[in-house]
Formats: sequence, structure tokens, C-alpha cells
Amino acid sequence: MKRLLVPTLLLTLLWSARDSVAEAKGDDFGAVVKVVEEFYGVKHKGIPFLAKAGIKAATAAAHLAGGSKKRLAEAGSVKLAFFEDQEFSAKGGFSDFRATLKARLAGRWLPFIQVLSLNDEAQTYVFLRDAGPKYTVLVVTIEKHDATVVQVNLAPQTLAMLMQNPNDIGKAIMDDATTTDDQE
Amino acid sequence: MRTLFKTMKLASLALLLGLSVSVTARAQNARIEMGQLDHLGAKASETVDVNIDERLMHLTAKFLSGKDPDEVKIKELVNGLKGIYVKSFEFERDGDYSQADIESIRLQLRSPAWSKILNVSSKKEGSVEVYLMSNAAQVGGLVVVATDLKELTIVNIVGPVDLEKLSQLEGQFGVPELGIERTKPKPKN
Repeated sequence: MKRLLVPTLLLTLLWSARDSVAEAKGDDFGAVVKVVEEFYGVKHKGIPFLAKAGIKAATAAAHLAGGSKKRLAEAGSVKLAFFEDQEFSAKGGFSDFRATLKARLAGRWLPFIQVLSLNDEAQTYVFLRDAGPKYTVLVVTIEKHDATVVQVNLAPQTLAMLMQNPNDIGKAIMDDATTTDDQE
Repeated sequence: MRTLFKTMKLASLALLLGLSVSVTARAQNARIEMGQLDHLGAKASETVDVNIDERLMHLTAKFLSGKDPDEVKIKELVNGLKGIYVKSFEFERDGDYSQADIESIRLQLRSPAWSKILNVSSKKEGSVEVYLMSNAAQVGGLVVVATDLKELTIVNIVGPVDLEKLSQLEGQFGVPELGIERTKPKPKN
């Protein structure tokens, strides 16, 4: 039995890795991850295990009806890619990256909000797309040494609630996507 | 030759018709072009760019609570709005943006459909200009141009905005604190 266990585990890991790569290649989420990789010459860590360490839940999540356990993202809709301890130099400004990103998503996504801070070397981009009864939100945050790309589906009422304070929407979604239930 | 002349005449008519339709459509649309300011992002230390289109405005109005007093106020305010667009730049140094940048906005507001309803300027606090588009009895939209030596903010609200409640939008939907209420002229006794 033990002899079967190791190959089965390996096969499962390989299968899930294959799925993750295929998923990344087949949609705009994957395309955006690639834009970040190519523009900054970095590599992502696609498995969200690292993200689940110690990131507090967004206060916006707690404000939702249903209490602090209520999540923003629709179950099973979260896609995450992390870039850790890498160089995202903002010395040349943000214009080129911003233009590249916008061009990649043009026509399919609404560039909902962009907040760029040269002093903090931080960039936040939030794009929106109609997904039938729900909305898909794509958030890209880039700091000096770390970056995250997250895509989630939101119920319309959740989006409506978040839209009142669009400057915080990126952080709220990012925190929600990277927080496990037991951390709340 | 006669066919060529006829074709040219028809083409000219079509062009004229197209132009007039386009002018009318633009005149009725209170959304202004702000993309020409994007180049300022390269010099700005802080940039905020918010685009809330008609669909998103409807969504917000639809799902805001009708019970919470604060949300009721916001719901009343955004009902009927067709969009809120904000571009804001903060600079490290004076003169990182030019008068030509502001002129590119003002130029669009010189059409008869727009009227400047507020113009407050001070050397210390910069200036705030508020432009209103009104079609007959209805307000079609509003533009706020707020400038400072190191700051440039353009707010474009499309749709029938209630001027009395305009200040309630500050701090909501990406609209920055502009001090619009503070700069309103006081009524005479």
C-alpha cells in the first residue's frame, strides 16, 4: 500500500500543477501574470500557500452583512499569483507598465481604478469585467520587492458595497483572497 | 463626370450629416476627454485614476440599502448618474504640470453647453473651478478642476447631479475632498 502512496501523491501534485499552468495560460489572469513577469523579469509563485501566512482580513469584509466570517470573493473563484523578494524597480516610473497592462486588457476589462505612488514605489490596478450575474475583478498590486495578481468573482451587492470606497477596493480584495477562514 | 459630381455631393452631405450628429452627441454627453493627462503619471509622485461607468453606477444605486440613513442619502445622490471619472496627480515639484494640461480640459468646457458656476482661487490653496452642463432644465453633468502648485485633480460627474448635495460625494466613489461646500458663496442676508 505504501508503495502506491508516493507515486499517487506525485501524480496528484503533477496533475494539479498541470491544471494551474493551463489555467494561467488560458485567460487574462495568466496573461497579466505573464505581463508582470516579462516587464520586470521576475517569476511568480503560483500556489497560494505562502499567502496564507499571517495576513489579516480586510475590515471591509467584516462590514458585510453576515459578520466577519462572510467572504468577499465567491467560493472557488480565487486565482492568485505571488511574486516575493524580487525587484520591481519604479525608477523609470509606472507609465510603461501601466500602458502595457491596459493594452493587454483593453476592450474586455474596465480599468476601474489605478493608484500609483512613486514615493512608496507601489502600484495598484483594479480591472472589472461583467461575468453574467456576477462581476470578475482583477487586482494587480506591485511594491518594491513583492507583487500579487488576484482574480475573484464578486456578487453585485459586494461590488456595490466596495465601490463606495474604490481607493481601498484593491486591498480589501487582496486581503480577502489571501486570508484563510481560520485566520479571521 | 456627372456621376462623379453626384457621388461627391452625396459624400459631402453624408459627411456634414455625420459631423452634425457627432457634434450633437458630444454636446449632449457630459463626459469629457481626460486621457491626454495620462502622460503626467510619469512625473507625478501620486496618481489616482477612477472610472465608474453607467453600468457600475446603476449597480451601486440598485444594491445600496434603502434602510441605512447614510446609504439612503448616497442612493439618492447617485440615482440617475451615468458615471464618475476622476484623475488626480500629486507632484514633488512646482511646475511639473503645465497650463497647457489644464487648458486641454478647459477647452472642452468652452462650448455653450457648459457654464462655469464657481471659480475660487487663492495663492496658498490653489484654485477650484466648477463647470456645469445643463440641457434645458436638467443638469447633464459637472466638471471640477482643482489645481494647486503641486496638485491637479479633475472630477467629471456625468448625469443629473444635485448641486446642493454635491459635497456629499466628496470622499465617496473616488471623489477626493475638494472643499466645494466651503468655497460656495454665502447667501446674502
